[in-house]
Amino acid sequence: MIRDLEKVRNIGISAHIDSGKTTLTERILFYTDKIYKINEVRGKDGVGAVMDSMELERERGITIASAATYCEWDKHNINIIDTPGHVDFTVEVERSLRVLDGVVLILCSVSGVQSQSITVDQQMKRYKVPCIAFVNKCDRSGANPAKVSRQLRDKLGHNSVIMQLPIGLEDKHEGVVDLVAMKAYYFEGENGEIIITKDMPAQMLEEAQIAREEMIDAVSLFSEELTDAILEENDITEELIMSAVRTGTISRQMTPVFLGSAYKNKAVQPLLNAVISYLPSPLDIENEALDMDNNEETVILESSFEKPTVALAFKLEDGQYGQLTYIRVYQGCINKGDTLVNSRDGKKFRAGRLIRMHSSQTEDVEAIPAGHIGAMFGVDCASGDTFVSPTINYSMLAMHVMEPVISLSIVPKDNKAQINMSKALNRFTKEDPTFKTHVDHETGDTIIQGMGELHLEVYIERMKREYGAEVETGKPRVAYRETITRKALFNYTHKKQTGGAGQYGRIAGFMEPHDDEFEFVNKITGGRIPTQYIPACKQGFEGCMGKGPKLDFPVTGIKVTIDDGAFHAVDSSEMAFKSAARGAFLEAYNKAKPVIKEPIMKVVIETPNEFQGSCMGLINQRRGIIQGSQEEGVMSVVESQVPLSDMFGFSTVLRSATQGKAQFTMEFSTYKQVPISIAEEIARKKLEEKAQKK
Amino acid sequence: MLKKDLISKSPVSKAIGIENLKQGKFGAVLSRAGVGKTSFLVQIALTQLLKDEKILHISLDDPIEKINLRYSEGYTNLVDSIGYVDPQKAVRLWEDINLNKVGISYNESTFDSEKIRDYLKSFKKANLALPCIMIIDGLDFDKDVSGILEELENLNHEFSIFIWFSMKSHREEKLSPEGYPIQLDTHKEIFDKAIFLQPVEDKIEAVILKDGDRTDQRYRLDPATMMIVE
Repeated sequence: MIRDLEKVRNIGISAHIDSGKTTLTERILFYTDKIYKINEVRGKDGVGAVMDSMELERERGITIASAATYCEWDKHNINIIDTPGHVDFTVEVERSLRVLDGVVLILCSVSGVQSQSITVDQQMKRYKVPCIAFVNKCDRSGANPAKVSRQLRDKLGHNSVIMQLPIGLEDKHEGVVDLVAMKAYYFEGENGEIIITKDMPAQMLEEAQIAREEMIDAVSLFSEELTDAILEENDITEELIMSAVRTGTISRQMTPVFLGSAYKNKAVQPLLNAVISYLPSPLDIENEALDMDNNEETVILESSFEKPTVALAFKLEDGQYGQLTYIRVYQGCINKGDTLVNSRDGKKFRAGRLIRMHSSQTEDVEAIPAGHIGAMFGVDCASGDTFVSPTINYSMLAMHVMEPVISLSIVPKDNKAQINMSKALNRFTKEDPTFKTHVDHETGDTIIQGMGELHLEVYIERMKREYGAEVETGKPRVAYRETITRKALFNYTHKKQTGGAGQYGRIAGFMEPHDDEFEFVNKITGGRIPTQYIPACKQGFEGCMGKGPKLDFPVTGIKVTIDDGAFHAVDSSEMAFKSAARGAFLEAYNKAKPVIKEPIMKVVIETPNEFQGSCMGLINQRRGIIQGSQEEGVMSVVESQVPLSDMFGFSTVLRSATQGKAQFTMEFSTYKQVPISIAEEIARKKLEEKAQKK
Repeated sequence: MLKKDLISKSPVSKAIGIENLKQGKFGAVLSRAGVGKTSFLVQIALTQLLKDEKILHISLDDPIEKINLRYSEGYTNLVDSIGYVDPQKAVRLWEDINLNKVGISYNESTFDSEKIRDYLKSFKKANLALPCIMIIDGLDFDKDVSGILEELENLNHEFSIFIWFSMKSHREEKLSPEGYPIQLDTHKEIFDKAIFLQPVEDKIEAVILKDGDRTDQRYRLDPATMMIVE
């Protein structure tokens, strides 16, 4: 691994589903000599792209798990993570962005900024990741890169600056004009590997000069030298422009826009040059950790190999040699045999086999230095753990993980499947923090929870293929929640005298609606409840949040404040105060007007114009709220919010309403109160279920 | 309470009357370019949203983001016109009423009443309340629009939905003997209401051109907010 960090790039490739992320990655690997043959995502040869290593990925033509690889370009080391586009697997994107220094945001030249582009953009903002944009599919009918660049401004608020002009569009797309060098690039050879540099076509000269002036004008904001050169009418060198673009991009104040067609092998190499020129090296990015021994004070990590090691485990995978842990090293260097500490639990371990990933293949390395991404075998840890040298106790900030919104009961078909199923679930839950499983104590069924129908479907399929565990599935269920809508007081005394030591505890206070999941506030004064029992009170209340008294759904959004109470010198105990808290919770809960909340999904349909009205109608029939609809060329986009419970089977309905020409994406948006009539229906079903179980 | 206050402050309440604005089938807001047709139409729609009615706003000029921006600006102007309002209350109300607004942005060439019919039908199918008014902003009345108006009349019959249009007039064109711009004069039979906006000094004057016998009533509006200047 290169130790000169200026020559290292850790980048991700992110975009909306089907924008060509995996296709682009395949080209990058080919041009950088990592692979010697290009295989298409849904190619006729049936081989599938290298990065889609999972059999299921190749079959469906989608990326499910983000894959890591590396390549070399212009004496630089590029670590690449190809991430899934489908929103159900968004945690994969989230994990990748946490550890990347820069992103290539791919946009389709026809569809422009789509719903998942918006989601990825929000994630990039969350982790402050700089990006460059690549407008792909310029060979497609209806391609309009200028429109896409405008959408980057209007819809995502990026300061997008066009760096290239297309030489021809749609079926006449031949190459690009570079506005920095003012040269035309054509791509010849079987796979576009031969770059022909020429003077630009005469008819494009005027357009290119105007575009170059606009570009220089926009980037001059980031370089005084460039501004001076413009004002003094000096020569504007390529280096001057490139340095200004780099500054603007790394500070996230501008997004340079490149274009081409990965599928037609056009303009991928200039994009690789742009990755080197404009995206940050690990030295350009400031990474923070919390010093756990120093009141969680923020410390800035240095990409120095001599400093104590700090690394983040951002993804786990269970392979044939045990657990494979993907890590990004931020400071120091992990050498084979080094002793490290998992800062979450303080456990020491020895770094065993260290590897660098190339999709599903591995290459052993002796060390993973700061600034690099690699993986290690045989470490028992969880996703998001921080590994440090024994001399320090730092923790990296955790990743944002969404709660699952949909669940499904699964029953193994036979005894063998039962054993394999639990092995599979054990692995999947470790790998994916948005995939959860538990056993319903009343029915004995195993329940799996995830981010969407496709998410669960993929795991069920993987269980069958990878573990031979065939299961029967129940109907998908929505993860309803309970919450309260007004403040209510409690004053509860728990008192029991059953021979021997009794139990006594009184708790008074109030509960009120809250924006966060749960908060406990202790306002007890004068020792009316001794300090040692306060944690028990909190645990008592917290314990009630798992199963709401109204309909057994988990409770969220409650703030509990205790301000009075009483104890008995002999009969009070932790147990007694826990019970008192439970009693107090139940006492106040019904007075606080509890309601049921349901997950609301952001649903975006892309449909040919003629079906726009019908698509909006479908949303209407599903208690959906249409936020707007926009025609873009021959396609219309309908944005809406729809309760998840009404979205089951939507893909079939949409297909039949639009002759299979429309597609939709769906992602969790928020929880909202269920209308009274629906709440009554849910309550009725719940009672029926309970009666059946009895 | 806040809803009532906002409705009473709306320029539409005074100039047209809240119930009156959906009596009939077609209404038009006319002016030269840039005077404030869309802003006035938004105020019309806002009064209905404040009455918990649904509205459908179709724009043939603006993208959906701009339509949404126009509404939030219109609402802010309305809120500001009544003096102090608890900001949280105002935001909550906006989040509430905004759910009843659907904005659609069409290219003029692909605008088709059939798509709207499909959509409106789904309300009936799902047993939902229909939008009470539809706003069509950006239809070019300098072209022959009699075909599309006929189709929209059918929609009005089928779904009892009042349709408000923006109508661009031109400075150099002469008015008809009744004082109508040519764009309105051509279709005057089917329009029940028409309001003409014109700059007068540093204000905008809203002139009622057509509304039963309420013709030639005039109101002064603040050009920045479209609120009535007392």
